Amino acid sequence: MDSDLKISAAPATNQADARAVGAASPTEQVVAGLEALIIDAIPTAHDFGFVGVERFAGGLSRENWSLDATWVDATGAQSRRLMLMRDAAGTLLPTDRKREFAVLKALEAASVPAPKAHWLDHDGRRLGTPSLVMDRMPGTCDYLVLNGDRALETRLNLAREFIDLMARIHAVDWRERGLGAVLGVPTGAPSLVELAHWEAEYRRVRLEPHPELDYVLAWMRLGAPEAEAIVLVHGDFKPGNALIDGDHISAKLDWETAHLGDPLEDLGWVTNPVRKREHQIPGAWEREQIVAAYRALTGRQVDEAALRWWNVFSIWKLAVIQLTAVSEFVAGRYNRVFQTPSWLYRPMFQLMEHGA
Amino acid sequence: MRPTVEEQLLGTCTILEKVVSPCVADPYARTILEGLVANLRMLTGALPAVAGFLLDDNQATAGLLVQLQAAASPELAASIALALARPEPDAADRAALDQRNHELRELLSQALGGGALTPAMRAAALAHMTARAARAPMRYVSTTSPSAKAT
Repeated sequence: MDSDLKISAAPATNQADARAVGAASPTEQVVAGLEALIIDAIPTAHDFGFVGVERFAGGLSRENWSLDATWVDATGAQSRRLMLMRDAAGTLLPTDRKREFAVLKALEAASVPAPKAHWLDHDGRRLGTPSLVMDRMPGTCDYLVLNGDRALETRLNLAREFIDLMARIHAVDWRERGLGAVLGVPTGAPSLVELAHWEAEYRRVRLEPHPELDYVLAWMRLGAPEAEAIVLVHGDFKPGNALIDGDHISAKLDWETAHLGDPLEDLGWVTNPVRKREHQIPGAWEREQIVAAYRALTGRQVDEAALRWWNVFSIWKLAVIQLTAVSEFVAGRYNRVFQTPSWLYRPMFQLMEHGA
Repeated sequence: MRPTVEEQLLGTCTILEKVVSPCVADPYARTILEGLVANLRMLTGALPAVAGFLLDDNQATAGLLVQLQAAASPELAASIALALARPEPDAADRAALDQRNHELRELLSQALGGGALTPAMRAAALAHMTARAARAPMRYVSTTSPSAKAT
């Protein structure tokens, strides 16, 4: 079985390169590429072993590989539990591994649980496509954890941990950590910056007219709010991008969409009605409680009209991501079949007409 | 014609599930296969409804465009008038129905994206778009498990 690959020879860099380039299977390519990447960083490394190499079934925007690596270098025998994120041929969300690597490095000294990033293959020279390697943190991923089998009080505690984590991300001193230069500081209202970015993506991927999305776009252009603050925004904040160890969050993952922007972007993502099953607990942890908790943690006002705008934007962005999947599937680069996201239209119209 | 398209799609699903799936050990490939089979099953029900949907939607969109003409720029209003003057395609010609739908929805996109609609126009547009979304025959079928990531 090729998920357990042992490479016991002490390869020279050019041997690892040759294996990466000519590798027969994705697993072999990952192993050979990773070995070359480690040798780039630690030239004395040799006697490699890679065990449990497995591509996760989840992860719709990148390939996520899990493996345990061992080697010997000048400082002795090494052992690492690793995750490798590799750009897929087709993706729902084109993102930049270099930015993600920089964010993870910047978060190492912050009070945000995130994996330690080790190595970056920014141009895919070693692994075929841009990739980054990080620690595999303890815990499991369950995007419906807030409505799972745990007792209500335990789930409520987790829900509070999630909003506390969001507040901590938003409190990261991005200036001190040099993230302004890496991520870019929005010039003007972040809502308009994000809208321009996602509108360009919409124009790029649409294969047919979508009057519904154009109607919502016109509405968003007219009402784009100003930000209360410029913060580090996760950009895809959800339980499905976190690990739970026991009954607590052990790590926040998937920082590829992190950017500087309006804190209400993340809050709008978690309070938008189409993601209720993931972010809310009926009757106990709903929009009102989430917003109240966020206000208490951050001292921010959270303007209701502005939050509603970000709710609509969140759903619209989700629609554009699905259109990306449609476009990639039609181009033969994506292995899952998506449809026009017509199920997202009504919730947007309701928010626009009647509020949350 | 037997087997019908529906029978062939369903039969393909059965073979994929009974013969192919048990031999697929890789978790990623298995997830992809489950998604493809679920989509084929959805298509079995949706396919016969597509032509009728397009026919109805073309009529409804044309009706809405007539209402929106008054708020459109002179150029757009002229394009709408030109499009509406053309005859509707044959109800059995799915490709022509699709092309007509594309043309009318492009005009609707322009009319709705330009703003300056009266409340009555907005209400009519919302009613049309909501009803269309509810009737769309093809739907995404999620097969993602809670432990997998879903973007």
